[in-house]
Amino acid sequence: MNADLEKLQETNKTELERRGSIFNIGAPATEAVTTRDQIAVGFGDGTVRFFQSGSDPKTVKAHKGVVLSMTNYEDHVLTGGDDGRFLKISSDGNIEEIFNFGSKWVDCVASHKDTKVCSSGKTVYIWTKNKDKPQTLEHQSTVAGLAFDNKGKRLAVSRYGGVTVWKLNNNKWTASNYTWKGSHGTVTFSPDTKYIVTAMQENQIHGWRINDKADLAMRGYPSKIKSFTWVGDTPYLVTSGSSDAVCWPFDGKEGPMGRKPIVVANGGKELATFVKALNGEKAVFTGFTDGSVLLAEIDESKKPIMIRSSTGAEVSTIAISSDNSQILIGDMKGSILLSSLWADN
Amino acid sequence: MYEGGIYRTNYKEIDMENTSQVPVTVLTGFLGAGKTTLLNRILTEQHGRKYAVIVNEFGEQGIDNDLVVDADEEVFEMNNGCICCTVRGDLIRILSGLMKRADKLDAIIVETTGLADPAPVAQTFFVDQDVADRTKLDAIVTVADAVHLSSQLVDHHEAEEQIAFADVILLNKVELVEDNDIVKVNDRIRKINPFAKIIKTTRCDAPLDEIVGLNAFSLDRVLDIEPDFLESDHDHEHDDDVTSLSFVSDSPLDMDKFQDWFGNLLRTKGQDILRSKGILNFKGEEERYVFQGVHMLMDASPMGPWPKGKNRSSRVVFIGRDLDNMNLKEGFENCKSA
Repeated sequence: MNADLEKLQETNKTELERRGSIFNIGAPATEAVTTRDQIAVGFGDGTVRFFQSGSDPKTVKAHKGVVLSMTNYEDHVLTGGDDGRFLKISSDGNIEEIFNFGSKWVDCVASHKDTKVCSSGKTVYIWTKNKDKPQTLEHQSTVAGLAFDNKGKRLAVSRYGGVTVWKLNNNKWTASNYTWKGSHGTVTFSPDTKYIVTAMQENQIHGWRINDKADLAMRGYPSKIKSFTWVGDTPYLVTSGSSDAVCWPFDGKEGPMGRKPIVVANGGKELATFVKALNGEKAVFTGFTDGSVLLAEIDESKKPIMIRSSTGAEVSTIAISSDNSQILIGDMKGSILLSSLWADN
Repeated sequence: MYEGGIYRTNYKEIDMENTSQVPVTVLTGFLGAGKTTLLNRILTEQHGRKYAVIVNEFGEQGIDNDLVVDADEEVFEMNNGCICCTVRGDLIRILSGLMKRADKLDAIIVETTGLADPAPVAQTFFVDQDVADRTKLDAIVTVADAVHLSSQLVDHHEAEEQIAFADVILLNKVELVEDNDIVKVNDRIRKINPFAKIIKTTRCDAPLDEIVGLNAFSLDRVLDIEPDFLESDHDHEHDDDVTSLSFVSDSPLDMDKFQDWFGNLLRTKGQDILRSKGILNFKGEEERYVFQGVHMLMDASPMGPWPKGKNRSSRVVFIGRDLDNMNLKEGFENCKSA
């Protein structure tokens, strides 16, 4: 390579790219989750790779097709694949098949303490400690999102027409329906568990206040919202789907009702595709369609910092290590940046 | 530029130069018409090509392919103010999943159940941006049973819709039908859909390059439309029969007038207009404009200058129900530039 060009590329790199490692896996990164001391990433070639600073990733050949969903479970990860398998995987390569659904995809997974959950088609399957047979929860349409509240007592299941919130009482799950016309995807509980929010097939997110089922419609996006994250003590629900990270305040009695969101991390003509909170800070990482990532405080007067420069492939996942020291960024072409967040690390 | 449903420009496709769109062929047709026979021919005779096949879990069995995905034909209403807009929710989910695969697919085939309405499948490719960015609807191929089609058209409006939406119609099992009956059923198809290519087959033995890789939904293919109209015969039509109409104008159209008329037309009558296509010559515009619509949704774009020495004539075509009560001719005539 031309020395000048090399120098130019080097200077165009961000600080985190210069001190981090870049891995080209060659398959889209679909999901990333943080385990105790590693970051596990699922890929479109069916592998799960465990990343740790200072060493090469450990590769586990998990699924035949795509790793569609992943969550952490004790020191392991749980994955769902388009090969119909629901797996428990450890970083030393040990794979335990929890269930095989055959030709049906395992679209969503969730966990809370020792409870393992997945969905395939319209059914949610729940395995609790020491029980071989799962409990099943049926829905009218295909399950598109799963989320536990922070106590593990409620499980939100998004689907066409709204969300079913299942509540656990004396080992029995009872359903409560939150209805809003349209198709609902990813779902999340607010940290105080007062709200549930979904990303819709339409370019909007929808929320409900849990106790009175009051609706919250958050619209105005130019594209579908694929990612959201809770940030800070307010807290803000920060979403992708626009040229900025859109931050909705969920404080007070009414949350974002009748209020405007704060917008930070402007990506110009690029749209935000993935957002991830920086734990303990009022700040968010925002990944864009061109592969670039910005770190921004939830403050419109502050300038964002460029964390990763453009790669030409949209950012599909971001994870932060459990000790807040490392960041991992993955994109749809399978390029992974693993870097320390702080200069003195 | 247009209103009425959703207007989608093709600016995204220019942006997406690094991402190739995987072509999707939709196979429709009644149970027993020969869809699975055709599907297995495509899969076995096109060696070295990697297909994903999306089938209905209750559909016919025995598909010879590595990558078969069960779908359950979940039709979702879009909450976007477009009153007749339905999409296939399961298709959005499955196509998004397939696009995350490490190995690139050459094509995707979606087989629908016998009684499926093709509109939600087609609309999915107009409505969902991720699906539109990464895949493209190649063609709707309908397999029709030459023996039973006439009675199916009487008994089931889905049969009519499958013919109306088709880009290619395989008139299958012709060996079981007398020649003059083939002419009759051919004419019946032509009356519903004068634009589809009709291929008469025995055991679906049509050349595969006339079925897959057609790019029939690409806007520049609109320029190829040569409707094959039969002599008009309105005698024994019912109001709910699917028919087609086409209008030509040699004098230039006024863009504002056309937008007003056409936007309003799709908004108010889009439920009854199954498909629409057109090439337009606007006064003061050097380029040809083309559009292609499915119910209330459409895609439109300028498509290069008019060929030198050729007539700059505008042409619009409609396939739908109750077209005679939409004042289409008058509406189109009124768009002529003063």
